[in-house]
Amino acid sequence: MNDNHEGREGRVHPEIPRLADELAAGRLDRREFLRFATLLGLSAGAAYGLAGLRSAAADQAVPKPGGSLRISMRVPDARHPHTFSWVYDSNLVRQVNDHLTRTGPDNVTRPWLLERWSVSDDLKTWTLYLRTDVVWSNGEPLVAEHVIWNFRRWLDPAVGSSILGLMKGYMLDDVEGERFDEAGQPILTTRLWDANAIEQLDDHTIRLNCKTPQVAVPEHLFHYPAFILHPSQNGEWDEDAIGTGAFRPVEIATGKHAVFARRDGYWRDGPWLDEIAFIDHGDDPAAPLAAIASKQVHGFYEGSTLQYHALQALDHVELHSRVTAQTAVARMQPAHKPFDDARVRKALRVALDCEKLLQIGHLGLGAPGEHHHVAPIHPEYAELPPLGPDVAGAKALLTKAGYPDGFETEIACKKDPAWELITVQAMVEMWKQIGVRVAIKVMPSAQYWDVWTKVPFGFTMWTHRPLAVMTLPLAYRSGVPWNESGWANPRMDELLTQAEGTLDLDARRTIFREIEILMQEEGPICQPLWRSVFTPMDKRVKGFTLHPTFYLFAEEWWLED
Amino acid sequence: MSAFLLRRLGFLLITLLATSFLVFAISEFAPGDVATKILGPYATADQIALLTEEMGLNRPMPVRYLDWLGGVLSGDLGTSTLFKQPVNEVLWGRLANTGLLAGIAFALIVPFSLVLGVVAGMREASLRDRSISVASIIATSIPEFASGVFLASIFAVWLGWLPGTSPLSLGGDWSVAQQLVLPVAVVVLYDLGYVVRMVRASMVEVMRAPYIRTAVLKGLTRSEVIFRHALRNALIAPFTVILLQINYLITGVVVVEAVFAYPGFGRMMLDAALAQDIALIEAGALVAVVIAVGTQIAGDIGYMLLNPRIRVR
Repeated sequence: MNDNHEGREGRVHPEIPRLADELAAGRLDRREFLRFATLLGLSAGAAYGLAGLRSAAADQAVPKPGGSLRISMRVPDARHPHTFSWVYDSNLVRQVNDHLTRTGPDNVTRPWLLERWSVSDDLKTWTLYLRTDVVWSNGEPLVAEHVIWNFRRWLDPAVGSSILGLMKGYMLDDVEGERFDEAGQPILTTRLWDANAIEQLDDHTIRLNCKTPQVAVPEHLFHYPAFILHPSQNGEWDEDAIGTGAFRPVEIATGKHAVFARRDGYWRDGPWLDEIAFIDHGDDPAAPLAAIASKQVHGFYEGSTLQYHALQALDHVELHSRVTAQTAVARMQPAHKPFDDARVRKALRVALDCEKLLQIGHLGLGAPGEHHHVAPIHPEYAELPPLGPDVAGAKALLTKAGYPDGFETEIACKKDPAWELITVQAMVEMWKQIGVRVAIKVMPSAQYWDVWTKVPFGFTMWTHRPLAVMTLPLAYRSGVPWNESGWANPRMDELLTQAEGTLDLDARRTIFREIEILMQEEGPICQPLWRSVFTPMDKRVKGFTLHPTFYLFAEEWWLED
Repeated sequence: MSAFLLRRLGFLLITLLATSFLVFAISEFAPGDVATKILGPYATADQIALLTEEMGLNRPMPVRYLDWLGGVLSGDLGTSTLFKQPVNEVLWGRLANTGLLAGIAFALIVPFSLVLGVVAGMREASLRDRSISVASIIATSIPEFASGVFLASIFAVWLGWLPGTSPLSLGGDWSVAQQLVLPVAVVVLYDLGYVVRMVRASMVEVMRAPYIRTAVLKGLTRSEVIFRHALRNALIAPFTVILLQINYLITGVVVVEAVFAYPGFGRMMLDAALAQDIALIEAGALVAVVIAVGTQIAGDIGYMLLNPRIRVR
């Protein structure tokens, strides 16, 4: 990776020596040290050195150039990268255009188009230093102006990018817009909180002046639509796209396939492959399986649990897997009876046997859920005693809440991926034991996403994020757009704000311990499991590591004979 | 004859108009809105309102329908929101792919079903008849998704003789011909059984007719009886049935296309329906109606030519 660049100013964030002490004292494990040291601007190479580790990149075999590789993945329309709503869209563009940072499979975020970053002690001023050797495919060097153009576009409400929601809290202010909703209320729109929020210092330096402290700016720059596009193309992306990446588009046939060829003049080593192609096999899990069995493709974007056993039987295929913070939660809206009573919500949690749900729903691949949405792989995770299963305890809670005989309700659930529906079915069986009779309303994915913030009871997938402090404020802070349950708890809001401004990991973990307990006692979710994800790859494909968010970086791969 | 044709074409136009309006109206009541589908689950209310306005989706349904209809009359089928391309650029290529699959399948179904049906129907209840009938019933009762996966497991996964999917281009080291074998086989197996049963039934009925008994009694050989007297009459009823298969082969092969990842018309319609891509759904529906009504008209005309007793006023 990009390990050779010590900061130009050589200033080390004051937290780093303390982190190093914590590492030495054994209070911080190495991976967490790496994550936080790089987060604060130490280069990954230096951080690995301090942690006494060798970087994974240094251990790899010698790549072999040449060859053409095919991956089974949906090929949707990809003309507007900044508005992508799924990861697979972005995997097309990712071969041609880059992010400013990269969060590796080890959950450590490193600079990519950036050489490094630095952050003020109050976590409100982020200075981004661009690499000086990056060249676009049209021969132009990458400069700060290009990057600032992208920032402004991401944060323009008229563009429709989900980066806006991510950065809104620290970069934007809500203002009343000119449009009105059905009730005649003005729809809120946004604008930069300060005219100087995005500031150009010189040709290769940009400063973000944030409204509130924010610890996860480098992670946000790796959000899947956060691509750096060439300003001359006005945010559009097609076969003529100008990129800083290792490949150039050759043919994009939406719904069928997309083909990319290696480009000359790439500013790093590689790529090794001559060509990478993505083939759209649709939503039927049998089709990619048949394709890899007859060697029509080398691998998938994502393996499904329905394919797991069949894939294991294929000799030429290796299954790559990774523990992630991907999950799905059965979230209840307290605005609707009987979920208005915190005891009912807790009873539904206590009734669940999450070990069993993991076995039934996800073939045991992953970790049991603990109903607080903080993953064991998150650095903030604090271990709590298990909450269930306790059928008698759950019944007692229901009785106290005035439902001694349980109640009837309905849960909305997506049809695919298959594990979601299977898990919901298993949960429904467990709830039967406490007298809660739940009907399952199955809907196609596209329809579910229309109602995900509206149904009283629904099962929603949440993607992997490397830090718990990225996920929980998105999902459980009062009034934010992705707070799908509408749960509003002032103590939770207070704790989340505290956590976002706290760098010290022990202190942050103490805050999160309280958050976890609050979620278990009063929170709006039942969380059955954490997913380990997997994908098959032909054994001849080398250099591939499965990313917890399924981002694909074909410039790292090569084909052995 | 020409009056009959004119009437039928008028009927086709009315059907097209009614279908297009119905599809538009029904999609109006489908859950969810298009802007949310395009922007994804994480869009803000402001972003959705902006896109809705930009796409003109906030206009009343009749206004949008008339606007769309005007476009269609001038040859513009609108823009697909799923593919973000003019429908004309998406539709015809997909239709051509399905046409290829359907054409090959049809070219196999017709001769095989005629031969097998006639052979089975020549001697009702013979061993040959029983074998062909039972095999046809089995073939036609297995749904395409089952036979597709079954054949792919044998020939692609186990034996490795054929590719498991048929993306046509970029299908790995397999030729297009090899890629077509399994999808064509599934369609033919499924459809052949039905047509064979129809031909057989018609043949059986003809063979029971008095004039066949007369022909046999006057001393004609068996082949003379069948080729000179039975065959033409036996083929009149199956002719319509066979023409109607074109309809299934083009607009009904969604399942086969999904199982084999075949980039055809059916899969396009499936994706369009899931994404509520109204322009694409409309165009697909119109194509389906033209094919359905077109084959019916062709069937009626062919029927008249084959059967002199039927004349239309």
